[in-house]
Amino acid sequence: MSDRLTRRAGTFLIGGTESHTSRSIPALLLPIIVVGAALALVPLWLGESRVFMGVAVLGLAFICYVIGFNVIFGGTGQLFLCVGALAGVGGFGATILADNAGWPILLSIIAATLAATLIGGLLSYVAVQRSLGVIFTGIVTLIFSLSFDALLLGLSYLTGGDTGRLIKSGTDTFLRERVPPYYLMLAIVLVFLLIHGLLRRSHIGWAFRALRDDEVAAELAGVDVARYRVYGALIGAAMLGLAGSTYAFTEGRISPTTFGFGHVDVVVLVMLAFGGIGTLLGPIIGAITFTIVDEILIDFGQLRQVAYGILIIVLFLWMPRGLIPTLGSLWLRLHGQKISDPAKSTDSVAGEQEAASGKAQSTE
Amino acid sequence: MTANILDGIVLGLQFGLLAAGLTLIYGLGGVLNLGYGQIAVISAMTVALAMDAGVPVLPAVGLGLLAGGLFGLLLDLTILRPVYRLHGEARVLLSLLLTLGVSFIVDGYLNWRYPLKSLSLYIGGGAIDILGVPMRRGSLVASAITLVTIAGLFVFFRSTSLGRAIRSVIEDEAGARLIGIDPKKMLRLILVLSGVLAALVALTRSMIAPVDTTSGLSITVFALIVTVVGGLGNFVGALLAGIILGIVSVVAADLIGSYISLIILLGAAAVTILIRPAGLLGVKE
Repeated sequence: MSDRLTRRAGTFLIGGTESHTSRSIPALLLPIIVVGAALALVPLWLGESRVFMGVAVLGLAFICYVIGFNVIFGGTGQLFLCVGALAGVGGFGATILADNAGWPILLSIIAATLAATLIGGLLSYVAVQRSLGVIFTGIVTLIFSLSFDALLLGLSYLTGGDTGRLIKSGTDTFLRERVPPYYLMLAIVLVFLLIHGLLRRSHIGWAFRALRDDEVAAELAGVDVARYRVYGALIGAAMLGLAGSTYAFTEGRISPTTFGFGHVDVVVLVMLAFGGIGTLLGPIIGAITFTIVDEILIDFGQLRQVAYGILIIVLFLWMPRGLIPTLGSLWLRLHGQKISDPAKSTDSVAGEQEAASGKAQSTE
Repeated sequence: MTANILDGIVLGLQFGLLAAGLTLIYGLGGVLNLGYGQIAVISAMTVALAMDAGVPVLPAVGLGLLAGGLFGLLLDLTILRPVYRLHGEARVLLSLLLTLGVSFIVDGYLNWRYPLKSLSLYIGGGAIDILGVPMRRGSLVASAITLVTIAGLFVFFRSTSLGRAIRSVIEDEAGARLIGIDPKKMLRLILVLSGVLAALVALTRSMIAPVDTTSGLSITVFALIVTVVGGLGNFVGALLAGIILGIVSVVAADLIGSYISLIILLGAAAVTILIRPAGLLGVKE
């Protein structure tokens, strides 16, 4: 009896919302193509300068990090404070395999990505098994971050310690030219966007949304919360590992700060909070904005950190859904449209669609 | 070995006091203050600047303690107000994010304004033999101050009505309110107290090693680890965990080198969370 009830609740929860997103593949591809086309034009503008292309490649790497973090935190509500460390497993792992063990670059990237994936999955599996809440998951992953950092400093014969390591592999290839690395990273960004977009439309995406909105209800409705949490962490960690290892080869020099907690995790958190947690394009908007802001503030040195601190406070106090979704719903409100339940869904696109479908129903 | 254990106890007492400040706010208000280490740094910088300006040591130390307490009060009056409106995990999460922002502001400002400033309250005089081990005078004075503070906290929580009121809020907030205790006032008091404790740790630490503007993050991290191992919100657990981790850290550093000792420390914390999420002395819910 309870089994039947559960199953019916499951159809209600998962099948019931399906009518809202009758998004076809073209509707999914369109924003990704637009983003890709816009970003593809950047080298025409900055392509002459090696410095600015370096900044642009780093910006793309950050987009990848934010997408990966968004899948884990925005998708399944697991506060992974080891974004930099997982990317660093990719970056240091791949370059050590290529330089010290003589592996081909592609193979070492795959191996390091796999390692990051496994670590991310393991962290999530342990957190889920011990049913750690958001806070303890955050603390355990933070501990992993700090241990990784200590390990990097300790194993200085491999990692170069504080000064970092120069990467010999790929020196004379396209990876170190001015513009091609940009397009390589851009391709990765677009693949990540596509994966995230498809994920949101698949049963995994529905499960993510269900478990994030109400974990207990999702569990009762037959969603295997533990399994989907681990899925989310595996996918996100794979993205982080791949982005970190590819970025390391294009950069040619990495140090513990390249993947440090203050340099990556906090920035990624701000970028995602700014763009909108859980949204598809939020990571792009957040990462681009802050890459530019960071360049503008570069002369202010330590005061940049102050600016980040103020932004964290402002964003989480007044716009917990992200600046862009907040502005979006404000715009809709000004134009006399009502959003069905903005507080419940951090997903602005879904929110807008719900609003649209609600309106359509009321006019019928 | 005896030397290691004594050094470990010196470090562990400071760990314990550090964690006590963090754990009390969590137990009382469900607030995880990631700007905790920055309070310590602010007070250390206050003392250093006051001494530069010609203030004698003792009044300068008084100013430092005052600065720590005031910063705790400031947090309570400003960014923690919206936090208090939330409950449960959302409250912890928001407090964690907002105080992370505060820690960035403080760190960024201090590193920009006073980049090379550091505080070391050097205490001269020769070493003193304890159990056949020569101990530096600074370590002994620091430990004595820490021990007296811990004893004072025990007396405060066991024997004064204010201390009992605070404990009653930790145990049962609704019940405490029924008998006329205002949890908000108690929380404000504890934030001031935890600020003073952070300041005290910074000052005693500076008797052993210099405290500079970048020390904030590592102080917060150690406080967090010890707090978690001791059990969030558990005062006695924090002290016990502090001493154990202090000894582990010093012995491991001596036997196998300092970076592995940090990893062992972090690993111990992770294992404790996984085996006993409620902490060493925690009761399973």
